Amino acid sequence: MAYTKPIAPALRDLWHVIAASQEVPMGGKRITTLFDTALTVSRNERLRVARNDDGSLLPVIERYGCIWTSFGSPTADLFPIIEYGESDRRNIIAGSIGVNVSAPRAIENFLDMGHFPYVHTDILGAEPHTEVKEYDVEISFERDEILATRCRFFQPKAALTATEGQDVDYIYRVPHPYCSVLYKSCPADESRLDVIAIFCQPMTEETIRAHLMLSMIDADNTDAGIRRFQQTIFGQDRPILENQYPKKLPLDPRAETPIRADKSAIAYRRWLSQKGVNYGVIPQQLS
Amino acid sequence: MGLGVAELRQAAWYPVASSDDLPFRHVYHGQLLGQELAIWRADDGNVNVWENRCLHRGVRLSIGINDGAELKCQYHGWRYANRTAGCTYIPAHPADAPARRITNRTYPVKERFGLVWAALSPEAPEPELAEAGFALRPMPVNALPEMVLTALMRRRLAGGAVTALPPLGAALVLEGTPGRASYFVQPVDSARAVIRGVVDTEPDLETLLAFNAALSALRDEVEVEARAIELPEPIVPRYEPVSVELATMPDLVIGRQATVRVKVKRRWQAALDVTGIELVPLSGHLPTFQPGAHIDLHLSNGMVRQYSITNGPGELLSYTIAVKREADSRGGSAAITDTLREGDVLAVSEPRNNFPLRRDALRTTFIAGGIGLTPLLSMARALQRQGLAFDFHAFARSEGHLPLGPELEALGGGVTRHFGLGPAETAAQIRHALGPHSFSRHAYICGPGPMLELARGLATELGWPDEAVHYEYFKNTHEIDTSSSFVVELARSALSLAVPAGKSILEVMREAGIDAPSSCEQGACGTCLTRVLEGEIDHQDVYLNATEQASGNVMMTCVSRAKSARLVLDI
Amino acid sequence: MAITLYDFELSAGCYAARLMLSILGVRYDTVSVDIYPGSDNRSEWFLKLNPEGTLPVIVDDGFTVSNAHPCLIHLAGKYDATDRWSPIHDPLVHPLMLGWFDFARRLTASAGVARTGVAFGGDADLPALQLEAHRLLRQLDEHLWFGEKQGRDWLVEGEHPTIADIAVFPDVTLSEEGGVSRQDYPAIRRWLDRVRRIPGFVVMSGVFPAAPAYSPLR
Repeated sequence: MAYTKPIAPALRDLWHVIAASQEVPMGGKRITTLFDTALTVSRNERLRVARNDDGSLLPVIERYGCIWTSFGSPTADLFPIIEYGESDRRNIIAGSIGVNVSAPRAIENFLDMGHFPYVHTDILGAEPHTEVKEYDVEISFERDEILATRCRFFQPKAALTATEGQDVDYIYRVPHPYCSVLYKSCPADESRLDVIAIFCQPMTEETIRAHLMLSMIDADNTDAGIRRFQQTIFGQDRPILENQYPKKLPLDPRAETPIRADKSAIAYRRWLSQKGVNYGVIPQQLS
Repeated sequence: MGLGVAELRQAAWYPVASSDDLPFRHVYHGQLLGQELAIWRADDGNVNVWENRCLHRGVRLSIGINDGAELKCQYHGWRYANRTAGCTYIPAHPADAPARRITNRTYPVKERFGLVWAALSPEAPEPELAEAGFALRPMPVNALPEMVLTALMRRRLAGGAVTALPPLGAALVLEGTPGRASYFVQPVDSARAVIRGVVDTEPDLETLLAFNAALSALRDEVEVEARAIELPEPIVPRYEPVSVELATMPDLVIGRQATVRVKVKRRWQAALDVTGIELVPLSGHLPTFQPGAHIDLHLSNGMVRQYSITNGPGELLSYTIAVKREADSRGGSAAITDTLREGDVLAVSEPRNNFPLRRDALRTTFIAGGIGLTPLLSMARALQRQGLAFDFHAFARSEGHLPLGPELEALGGGVTRHFGLGPAETAAQIRHALGPHSFSRHAYICGPGPMLELARGLATELGWPDEAVHYEYFKNTHEIDTSSSFVVELARSALSLAVPAGKSILEVMREAGIDAPSSCEQGACGTCLTRVLEGEIDHQDVYLNATEQASGNVMMTCVSRAKSARLVLDI
Repeated sequence: MAITLYDFELSAGCYAARLMLSILGVRYDTVSVDIYPGSDNRSEWFLKLNPEGTLPVIVDDGFTVSNAHPCLIHLAGKYDATDRWSPIHDPLVHPLMLGWFDFARRLTASAGVARTGVAFGGDADLPALQLEAHRLLRQLDEHLWFGEKQGRDWLVEGEHPTIADIAVFPDVTLSEEGGVSRQDYPAIRRWLDRVRRIPGFVVMSGVFPAAPAYSPLR
């Protein structure tokens, strides 16, 4: 069932990802979907995005290894990821993967740590170390984003070189309704942070392409090795995401049962409600 | 044409699976009238039919794990008990007992003729199902359920008798089959069904093959018909909203009422001075409990006593408790031991979980003194079920004094029994059992007051942090000093109450009409735990650990008092 | 003895090879070939190894074997001391095993292609592929159901699973990623539990371990 209502202004005037740059090489083109609308992205003398239904052109930028467009008037540049510009970074797109899930459900899963021992077993967590310790969440109105800090989770084998487990520290950031960035202490240099980001392309309300971006300090591993790791992690989330009902994220606080560990998810749902997001969600009933 | 969804929903019981579809340790993915179902058989044989959605974030329970006593969700490991579907453990918060009313939606179930029957509405009238019968291979069909029934009728042997089996079934002889069968059409969704056939005598392989071939042919025919018409949209399931309490994460408070009526099914001599008692509900099953929970038993003489539930996970047909006849009994244990008979009816409270079990330790040590074994037995059974490592040390005056010996035996190899030890030897054994603390180890200790004090000292000596050792006191033997007088202010009720010498805060609140929960009223069980906003607390309980007492944020209103002139409570 | 597996984590065919290696307890080295998005399998160095450009490829002491089914036959033939995984000498079993390889190929061409279509894009005709996959799964469910009635737990007659089970398993267990639900196939779902309980079984992204089997001892 195609979505027919108008997209909320909070969504319409944002940049949304539609492809990885590497999917549209010079002379290439790709047909894809955004908000139930078919688009063609092509690169000849310049990058071009056009609607398939009426041929009209849309604004386009390239950031963080991906191509972004908008159906409205995006006033600002895309949200910043400062680390991406550092000269010694490995900036990699691990993949652009189709999933039968709504963008907000995928973002919530990305923010969640409680599932590490059950879904990313022996990689990001393992039983019996299941505790999600208290962390802090802030909705920042100046930066218009959500920030979760002091997040930590016990990892049995945090890095390839580690012999015993330890708490790994995370920072999570949601600078866009359908994008999230996580920061993790870099094994090679403890003073710096590795960055893993998910940019969700909402093809329909209940299907997305998830573009996985990494910005790492890593002199040792190959691109293929780094991609494999990220694809493994994301592939493990897929059966969970695709088995969640309803597929659209319910914004009504009475729809599901939160626990203290879900603070960032609760903040995210509230933030989407405040913005009036109406795509990929079941809005709160006003009775 | 045909019955509408609403009528079908109210009408009846439908078969949703074959009994053979529910082997142990499997979760079956079913569906009825658009409602997805997670169906699983516990190790005790009980069949559970639940909504196929974890209450946490809506992930299908059918991809979860059936461990024989509980269903574990694949996403965050939440555990739900056999029979009640009550949540018993939330791994993200291992130190807390989950709000017991996190309960998945269950549907009534019956097993007859090798089929599993369920109804979506609890008001569906009891079906008239004969007992005997053998199930054929189920045949899923992508067509309207009504079309399927029509096709069955149409394909019957000419001249053969048809018996209607409402709402969507018929007994007849289908063309090409060896004989008469009862065919029940399960309406899975608006345009999906399963034909579940049943025969009277046990079919051999040839017979099963013949029926299967005929039903396959029928299915192919009906699906062609279905493709030719415009099919209705799938039924959209209705997701019930979560209760307001659960949506806002407050703590669950169990009042003082004894809301569960039970009957004494069995009593037996569990040790020299201990009576084992098995309590069954007057109907249905008992409320979910977590390991370490206790119930209040309301005796006919007006007394209320607390007893720990010793059951393992998912065992909710009865509660087994053990009552020690105390020499210095205030009358409670004597009343139970001397006068309670099999067949007697009592009232008990819902379980209180003030002594929760963490399941995230690499190794758990249980140290039980005498009757203190009871809550620890339930805990050890839960860990055993999950394959988590534990050591169990049971101390008793003699073998004859050790309660629940056979149950202890069933825990397997990690159990050590200590009989007739004096204080010095007991200390040595406890020291040995605990050993120096190491990462991710927890200890649970329950027994007589002096033993607990001994253990406290040893644990501190051995470097065990406060949050790694958990003491349950059955009673508080300390003399309570009630000589102070002060004022308590109740922040939420905007009340200011004077607490004179000789009265507890709890008593004063009750006199003012506040129905504050309590259980032991000795400062041992943790039920009357109250948050404190201001003032200096005079702790006289044995429930809170040193860290909790030092924090000044919580107190036991049944025995603790104030050092300052005023306390502000968060009630 | 040096075995190298050229492998892509998300490939169902590579999973079959990884399963067999783990079940047989064979140690091996892995070389990750980035099929997506890197298209390494189209690179010169890989095409020298396997001109078809497909995975998995096993190089075992200099001997190169390409694609899932040949890899399974090779591994079982060389490393299965019990000779139960690939009873090629039994004339009543061997042809049936090959029949199942055939079935597995058809399943890969339908359910497998639907799965990669959803994940990686392309212009696969998803509804047609899903329809074909359901047709095959119906067949499989019937076969397994009647097998259970005759005391057979595996695809082919015998007390022990064979490489036929390993060949068919990955595309079946990953079918839902291509939009092919297994709700109508309870016998298949029970077989999936049994396969996941084989000693040495390993998961991959998209597959979860089964609950431990029931044993009457408490």
